[in-house]
Amino acid sequence: MTWYEPDADWTYADRRLIVSRCIVLWAFMIFIMADFLVFSFVFASPWIIGTFAALLLGLWFTWLIYRSVTAHAWAEREDDLIVKRGRMFRSVTVVPYGRMQFVEVSAGPLARAFGLATVQLHTASTGTDASLSGVKAADAETIRDRMTSRGEARLAGL
Amino acid sequence: MTFKEATNVVYSAPREWTRVHPVSPYLGSGPIFGFIAIYGIARITPSWVAGDSEEYQAINMLPPWVLVGLVVLAILAVIGFGVLSWTRNEYRIGDESMMLRKGILFRQNKQARLDRIEAVDVVQPLLARVFGLAKLTVSVAGGAGSGIDLSFLRLGDAEALRNEVLALAARAKMPDAVAGFPAPGTQGAGEVGYEAAAASASAPSLRDLAANVGVTHTTTAVPAAPERDVYAVPTGRLLLSVLFSTATVWLGIGALSLIVAALVFGSAVGEAILSVIGTSLFAFLAFIAAIGAYFWQQINGGFNFTASTSPDGLRLRHGLLETRRQTVTPGRVQAVLVRQPWLWKAKGWYRITMNVAGYTEDQEKVSTLLPVGTLEDVRLALSLVLPSATDDFLERAVVGTGAEDGFTPSPQRARLVDPFQWRQRGVRAGDAALLIRSGRWTRDLAVVPNERTQSLGVSQGPLQRLRHLASVEVHSTPGPVRPLAANMDLDTALDLLDQQADRATAGRGAGRV
Repeated sequence: MTWYEPDADWTYADRRLIVSRCIVLWAFMIFIMADFLVFSFVFASPWIIGTFAALLLGLWFTWLIYRSVTAHAWAEREDDLIVKRGRMFRSVTVVPYGRMQFVEVSAGPLARAFGLATVQLHTASTGTDASLSGVKAADAETIRDRMTSRGEARLAGL
Repeated sequence: MTFKEATNVVYSAPREWTRVHPVSPYLGSGPIFGFIAIYGIARITPSWVAGDSEEYQAINMLPPWVLVGLVVLAILAVIGFGVLSWTRNEYRIGDESMMLRKGILFRQNKQARLDRIEAVDVVQPLLARVFGLAKLTVSVAGGAGSGIDLSFLRLGDAEALRNEVLALAARAKMPDAVAGFPAPGTQGAGEVGYEAAAASASAPSLRDLAANVGVTHTTTAVPAAPERDVYAVPTGRLLLSVLFSTATVWLGIGALSLIVAALVFGSAVGEAILSVIGTSLFAFLAFIAAIGAYFWQQINGGFNFTASTSPDGLRLRHGLLETRRQTVTPGRVQAVLVRQPWLWKAKGWYRITMNVAGYTEDQEKVSTLLPVGTLEDVRLALSLVLPSATDDFLERAVVGTGAEDGFTPSPQRARLVDPFQWRQRGVRAGDAALLIRSGRWTRDLAVVPNERTQSLGVSQGPLQRLRHLASVEVHSTPGPVRPLAANMDLDTALDLLDQQADRATAGRGAGRV
């Protein structure tokens, strides 16, 4: 076994999340690159190296975003939800529905523009890292309702 | 007990809005401001009276009656503020919850559901203790700031209120027991768990009694549930244990090196040290105070430590100047950590800390189950909080290494990632609980009952992947215990994840909560 691959119906994060995250990344990176470009004109040309460094860094981060979004997936099993994330540092979290305290759906302006949302499951533990990123906005509500009803059916208190 | 007697008892938990003790506003942070103000005035007065400073000419320009008036006004304002905040600090008990409303400018309304109560503490800070008052802290599951603090009540009232709240809470949680689940902690394991089992077996009958009293005589107070002491920490052992700590060792090394330096280099060093102390006296005092505070915390928290069982739950009493009487309702301990610092090895002493869901603040003060104790104490303590998870493994479980005692150790491949602890790491999945041990010099054993597992996680970094390793974390409620089985064999870790998820489900099915 190389990694946790149970027989389950995995739902992968929506690819639009890559675009949405890249916009944030490149907004920042272009700002940095512009800074270095101005420096290179005002002071001396070696500053131009900074621009290229930022460009390379941005490309690398873009690659990382692509890799991490395509690795992020979740599956609703009968009794629990499994969330997997990451490639270099990978992790799997198993959350029994009965342990769910509440479910939170959130979406920032950019995510809304792309029709995406984040669904976060909260248990009594702060260590539970069970947030689903890149959920289609239309699905988010149904996931939330489904989780809530399953949680109530299997409620175990603390 | 006859009900006739009970009706004569004066105090019962208020169903109407009731105020706390009138002295309360002056016992909190008020006195500190008072002392600061008095200190400030005392500093100014001499030079003002002497009249030799021009700074205070402005004061002299005011006529005396204005000065007197200002002082009177200040006193009135303090009293008025106290009275106002006292009238705006009220609590009551409802059918389903306990309610508190307080605040002058920013009003605060709080509700603590009775069936969600995890623990009820009676705390007496030094000043309150002088006046025979106490603070009642009700902790509920629901994150930081969700509990209710009643400060201050008369000690007797606070205790009576605690008893009644606990009885009501037990009744509010009753439907679960009626639905066919066994009361938590009734399956005591072997000899060790016997006493705890006996205590909880008697619980339902006493609960019924308390519940009946509540129903038929709503005006009677609920008597304290009978307590039975299980273990206590002798003062001598506590003081020794504080002495046998890493902090003492460092302090000793520091003092020794100073002495050695003074001997080798003569009086020059002594003068240098004195001049450092002289120039930065404040920093030096702060340093001394910090060291003192550390030792004080250890001694005050563990002083007179007594643990007992009662139908209301686990009772812990401790404290030297600030005393605390905790009651953790049955089955609310989420995880425990048995720890042996390296200096305690020779003595065979252990410390136990625990996670309780409602305790979100002052972890250091409230999360200690046993400040320092022998293996026998550890056994008793665990039988109190996890009766089903105790068996004869303990002897070796804390001190063992590798594959001893049915533990699954980390493979030798883990050495690269984990050079110090890999030999001590191990996991044992029992029917009742998951045991995780670790620590090269400070030995740790984390115990998480299967049915208390919140969620599970497995993670792997690049180095771990290289070595075919993974770490499994059991998520527990916030507290001092963070159970992590690091650097296990990957296949073992994944099996553990699957099986533990099943065991957790099975455990929850068998016994609620």
